[in-house]
Amino acid sequence: MILIVLFGTFFVLLILGVPVAFTLGLSSLVTVMYMDIPPLVVFQRMAAGMNVFALMAIPFFIYAGELMLHGGIADRLVRLAGAAVGHLRGGLGLVNVMSSMLFGGISGSAVADASALGSTLIPIMKRKGYDADYAVNVTVTSATIGLTVPPSHNMIIYSIAAGGTVSVASLFLAGFVPGILTGICLMVAAYVVAVKRGYPRDDFPGFAVCVRTFFEALPGLITAVIIIGGVLSGIFTATESSAIAVIYAILVTVFFYRSLSLEAFVTATKNAVKTTAIVLLVIGTAAAFGWLLALNQVPARLFEMLQSISDNKYVLLLIINIILLFLGTFMDMSPLIVITTPIFLPIVMKLGMDPVQFGIVLMINLGIGLVTPPVGSVLFVGCAVAKIKIEETVKTIWPFYLALLAALLLATYIPAITMTLPRLFQ
Amino acid sequence: MASNFLVALNGHLSKWGLWLSAGGLVLMTVIIGWQIWGRYVLNDTPIWSERLSLFLMNYYILFAAAIGVREKFHLGLEFFKNALPVRVRRVIELMINLLVGSFGVAMVWYGGQMAVSTWTHVIPTLGLPTGTSYLPFPIAGVLIILFSVQHILVGTEETEEEDQ
Repeated sequence: MILIVLFGTFFVLLILGVPVAFTLGLSSLVTVMYMDIPPLVVFQRMAAGMNVFALMAIPFFIYAGELMLHGGIADRLVRLAGAAVGHLRGGLGLVNVMSSMLFGGISGSAVADASALGSTLIPIMKRKGYDADYAVNVTVTSATIGLTVPPSHNMIIYSIAAGGTVSVASLFLAGFVPGILTGICLMVAAYVVAVKRGYPRDDFPGFAVCVRTFFEALPGLITAVIIIGGVLSGIFTATESSAIAVIYAILVTVFFYRSLSLEAFVTATKNAVKTTAIVLLVIGTAAAFGWLLALNQVPARLFEMLQSISDNKYVLLLIINIILLFLGTFMDMSPLIVITTPIFLPIVMKLGMDPVQFGIVLMINLGIGLVTPPVGSVLFVGCAVAKIKIEETVKTIWPFYLALLAALLLATYIPAITMTLPRLFQ
Repeated sequence: MASNFLVALNGHLSKWGLWLSAGGLVLMTVIIGWQIWGRYVLNDTPIWSERLSLFLMNYYILFAAAIGVREKFHLGLEFFKNALPVRVRRVIELMINLLVGSFGVAMVWYGGQMAVSTWTHVIPTLGLPTGTSYLPFPIAGVLIILFSVQHILVGTEETEEEDQ
């Protein structure tokens, strides 16, 4: 009955359109009152959920991404990708995917990635004869690569949600191969659709241009190296590494590229604050909601229920993936990481999956949720940039969904894809 | 008349609140930068830096989150709401504003309790009352109430992103 109150109020408020952060907080409040526990506990849990040192890396990650977006680093990464793969059939589609692998690796935020690369690439693609729906499809689906390619602030949320038992360094290492794999799957989809629709190709600009654009983009790429290197070497914490990345991004864009104006700096800072506020408020109220789930033994009950369906590991992993995909269609990523990790992590560990591997599976899975309606923040950003309706985009997006699903299944069922690198280094 | 005053007041609150929050993020970057400098260059790690920047973060996050209520940048499921006829949608908007506002009331009440009950404790490395770290909850709660009341009185459309 308690759970009916909890989930009942949650779904009613969600469907009404109450923002997710408040939906989680209000349904926790109602449930706590129903259970005759003092409502104060909801705010204590919320404060405890937000008062975590490791969370400080999140504003820095987002800030570094915003600075690179407004400071012209993103443009240079696009030029590098253009020189490398622009001469293939449907080249700009492939450029788009590759830019996401480069830029997403730095910003670690799919929304930032979609708005940064989308606003640069979608107009160019439209001008060169690509359809708007194709441009959006490629942009938004490839933006999710940034969640898997390190550094990714969502991995930090997962590491905290897993109770601090999973190291951020292992997650970073584990993300490389699946990220590249997702990129390849999407490039195949982009290429096949491009050939079918007869999209143009550019001339190969020559090896010299490739080298030149690489060195132009290098100072930007170093941002990622700082964060990853700092964390992996253990010299800096994730918070310190990402703070250095922010300072470095300011220095590079002001003194080296000379492309960050004061106005752009203020916009980047305000945007970073807003995005951080959205993410952290939801983490706070999700912590209260998650505490109620644990208190009412939802993880154990769900495990029993799953076991009654099947005792086959592969079937259960598939069911868990389907549940997560379903939840991802109408909820955003960060609250889902906070809520679902304590529920599913013990289950998959009993099935013999490493917590690091599950983290990566979660990134890819919930990433798909960001590009599916009715709630898909990345899809919405892409459509807004291209000025086309979500319905038009979704009609032709399925080859790209298939590519992402292929990457998800590979990461779920072949542990070596995620676990080889972290095992090699530890 | 009263609602004009509220709109003007809220406009100032959210504008300056956002500047303050942005300043908080910059300051936090400086503090952590100083911590790294202290540890690796001066060989003297400041003990207060992490605690202070987390303290700061909770303030600016909750301020910005409250401003999000005015600017409506929090994410929600708008799909079903938008499919409904305008008149029904208005009723739902009113309910959403009431619900969000009531969460603001709870934030003031219970956040205030947390701050008061821990006021005599001290945060070790900062020397401030522990209650100060809970203070952003009631403050943000007041802002959320003010912004929700504005949406209820004046409607929502005309306030979005006007200072951008």
